[in-house]
Amino acid sequence: MHIDIKQNYFELFELPVDFRLDQKSLHSAQQRLQSAFHPDRFVSGTEQEKRIAVQKAAWVNEAYETLKNPVKRARYMLHVGGLELNDEHETTSDPAFLMEQIEIREELDQCRNCQDPMRICDHITGKLDQRSQEYATKFMDLYQQGYLEQARQVSRKMQFVERTLEQIDEYQFDLEEDLI
Amino acid sequence: MALLQISEPGQTTAPHQRNYAAGIDLGTTNSLVAINRSGQVETLPDSEGHHLLPSVVHYGETQILVGYPAQRLQAEDPLNTLSSVKRIMGRGIDDLKTLKNMLPYEFDGNTDSHVPRIITRQKSVSAIEVSAEILKVLAQRAEQTMGEKLSGVVITVPAYFDDAQRQATRDAARLADLKVYRLLSEPTAAAVAYGLDQQSDGIIAVYDLGGGTFDISILHLNKGVFEVLATGGNSSLGGDDMDHAIGEWIIEQAGIGKIDHFLLRHILIAARKAKEELTNSASTTIQLKYKELDLNLKLDRELFNALIKDLVKKTLMSCRRALRDAKIKTSEITNVVMVGGSTRVPLVLEQVGTFFDCEPLTELDPDRVVAIGAALQADVLAGNKPDQELLLLDVLPLSLCIETMGGLSEKIISRNSPIPVARAQEFTTFKDGQTAMAVHVVQGERELVSDCRSLAHFELRGIPPMTAGAARIKVTYQVDADGLMSVMAEELSSGVRADITIKPSYGLTDTEIESMLRDSMSNAKQDIDARMLAEQQVEARRVIEALDSALAKDGQELLLENELNQIKRARDSLQQSIHSANADALKRGIKKVESASEEFVARRMNASVKKVLSGKKIDEVDV
Repeated sequence: MHIDIKQNYFELFELPVDFRLDQKSLHSAQQRLQSAFHPDRFVSGTEQEKRIAVQKAAWVNEAYETLKNPVKRARYMLHVGGLELNDEHETTSDPAFLMEQIEIREELDQCRNCQDPMRICDHITGKLDQRSQEYATKFMDLYQQGYLEQARQVSRKMQFVERTLEQIDEYQFDLEEDLI
Repeated sequence: MALLQISEPGQTTAPHQRNYAAGIDLGTTNSLVAINRSGQVETLPDSEGHHLLPSVVHYGETQILVGYPAQRLQAEDPLNTLSSVKRIMGRGIDDLKTLKNMLPYEFDGNTDSHVPRIITRQKSVSAIEVSAEILKVLAQRAEQTMGEKLSGVVITVPAYFDDAQRQATRDAARLADLKVYRLLSEPTAAAVAYGLDQQSDGIIAVYDLGGGTFDISILHLNKGVFEVLATGGNSSLGGDDMDHAIGEWIIEQAGIGKIDHFLLRHILIAARKAKEELTNSASTTIQLKYKELDLNLKLDRELFNALIKDLVKKTLMSCRRALRDAKIKTSEITNVVMVGGSTRVPLVLEQVGTFFDCEPLTELDPDRVVAIGAALQADVLAGNKPDQELLLLDVLPLSLCIETMGGLSEKIISRNSPIPVARAQEFTTFKDGQTAMAVHVVQGERELVSDCRSLAHFELRGIPPMTAGAARIKVTYQVDADGLMSVMAEELSSGVRADITIKPSYGLTDTEIESMLRDSMSNAKQDIDARMLAEQQVEARRVIEALDSALAKDGQELLLENELNQIKRARDSLQQSIHSANADALKRGIKKVESASEEFVARRMNASVKKVLSGKKIDEVDV
C-alpha cells in the first residue's frame, strides 16, 4: 500500500525545516501519533486494520528516527532542499579532514595493545564529539544561506565522524565482551 | 473502522461485555498465569495452591503430564521428561551442540524440518509443542478460575528474543488455541507491574536473575510510553550457579572424593536449601546423610557471600555494559526493579543497590512480577480500561541484516530501532531477462553472516524480464509490534509485485503447524475445518461491522459515489456468504472487501493525523 500521510517528515510532525530541532516537540508529536496508530490500538480490529496500523506506525517511527539523529536529519534536509543524494558515490576530498580521520584510526589501532584502552577510546570519542558539534554548526549556517552543495560536503564529514564513533563503540563492546 | 478504536482503544462492539484476558509468563524454569480478578490483578494457583507451574512436560505412553507431576518423574524418567525447552525455542539443529549439557535429550536426526525434535516414548516433539502444553495448562487454569473463555493473552518473552524465537512463541500459542494480543518483553512487564508507567518520566533498570539465566534491561519511560534502551545478560548464569558454588564448598569441606549423580543431586538440594535459609538468617546448618556420609556443616552469610561474590560481579559487569549501550549514566537511573527468585539473596540486593545507587523495588514477589505486568497489559488491550492510555513501545532487539557479497552482512534496520519499523532497499538485476532473485536475511551485530542468526531465505519470483540493470526491485522489510519480520517486494518501473517464498531457517512452515494442529485434535479433519470456518465467520462479521460504522461516519465525505458503490458491492456479497459453510469462500470475500476499501481506510487514517496533532487528546478525536 502506498503510504502518504504527508510526504515530508517535518510536516508530519508539524515542525519547521530547521536543523535546530526542538527535540521535545518532536518527541511529543511522535508519541501522540504512536498512541493513535500503534497496532496495540487495533488488537480487536480486522486483519486489514492491523496491517495498515503496522505500516503507519512504522512510517511514523522512521520519520522520527530520521529527524532525531543529527546526521540523518542533515541528509534529509538536503533531500527536502531538492538534492539527489547517493551515499555510496559521494566522497570527500578535503585533505585536512582525511588526515585527521587517518590519525584517529591509527590512534584507535594502537590502543589495542595498551594498558587502558577504554580511557583512550573515551578520549577519542570526546575529540570526535567536539568535531560533530563544529560540523553541525557549519552545516546549519551553509544550509540557511542556501549553499546546499557545500552543506552536503559537510554532511558527508558528519557521516564519517558518526561511523568512526560507531566503530569505537563496537570496539568497546568487544572489549567488554572479553571481560564478561 | 480502524479509527473507531482511536476514540475507544481496543473496545469491541459490545462495550459492556467484559473480556477475560490473561498474562502469561512462559519461563525457562517456571511459568505463571495472572489475570484481573474483580479489579485485582493476581497470579492464579492450581488446585493445590501452587502459583508456579514448573516448565516441565512428561510424555508417557499415551498421557502428557505438565508441571509438578512431570517434575517428580524427572529423576526416574529423564529422557521423556522435558524441561528448559525455552532454550531451544526458535533454535536450529546446529544450536543444540552448544546447549547439549543443559538438555540431555535424544534428538531426532531423521527429519526434514528445520526445527529440532526431541524423541520421547510417545512421539517426537518440538519445543513449540512442549511450550503449547504448558500454555494449555495455564489457560485452562485461568478459564476454570474465571468460568469464562479467555478472549486473548499477553505472553512475555525476553527482550533480546530474536525473530525466530518470538515466532516460535506465537506458534506455541496458536497450537494451544490462544489468541495472542501481544508478545511483551519481560522487563517491560515487570516495570508495568510496579505501576511505573504511571510516573511521568524515568530510566528504569530491570535486573532479572532467575534459576539459570540473567537478564538486565534498561528502559526509558516517558508519559506512559516504554522504550527498551538496551538489554544484556548471560544465558547460563543464575541461582543454580549459586547452588553449585555452595555444593563445591560442601564437597571440599567434607573431603568427598568420588561423587555419583545421586549424591550430587542430594548435595545440590541441600545447597539450595541453605541458600534460601540464608536469605532471612545470618547462618544455617547443612545436614546431609547419604550412605556412609553424615555431614553437619555450618555456613554463615559472610562465607556464602564470598562464595557467590564473583557471580554477582559478573552480573554487574553486564549491567555496566547495558548502561553504556543505552548511553545512560548510573545517576540517571530512577528505579531498579528486581525480578526472579535469585534476587532474594541479600548480597544480590545489596550489590545491585550499591551499583545503581538506588534502592531496588522488591515489594512484589519477584517470581510473579512479570506475569502480573503481562496481565495488566492484557486487560488494557482487551478493552477493559478504555480510559487508560498505556502504550508499550518496544525496540528491535537485534539488527536486521541481509547477506551481501562474500558472506558479509549489511545492516537494514539497526538494533534498538523502535518497532513497528519498515525499511526499503532497492536492488537491480545483473543478468538480461532475470526473473528471480534470493535474499538471505539474518539478525545480529557481527560483520560476517556466519556469526549472525539466519532468519530466512526469501526467493522473489515474477520479476518482469528486462535488460540487466533495468529492473528496480524495491524490497521492504517490516517488523511488527511483536518484533516479527515480513518482507514485501515490488518492481518499481512496472509496479509488478514479486511473489515471495519464505524458507524460515528455524521456524515451522504453515504445513507443519497445520499437521501439529491436526495431531492435537481428536477428530482431526472435522475439528480443524470447523475451527477454520468459525475463525473466518468471526473475522467476516468484524470486517462488515467495522466497515459499516466507518461508512456511516465519513463515507460521504471521503468517497466518490462509484468508490462507495464498489465497496458496498463487496460488502453485500460477503454478507451473503457469511452463513455458507465454506471457509475459503469467506476468506476470498474478506479479501475482496479489504482491497475495495483499502484506499478508504488509508484516507481515514490520513484525515485523523491532523486531528491527532492539533493538540486534542486521543479520546476527543471525532472519527
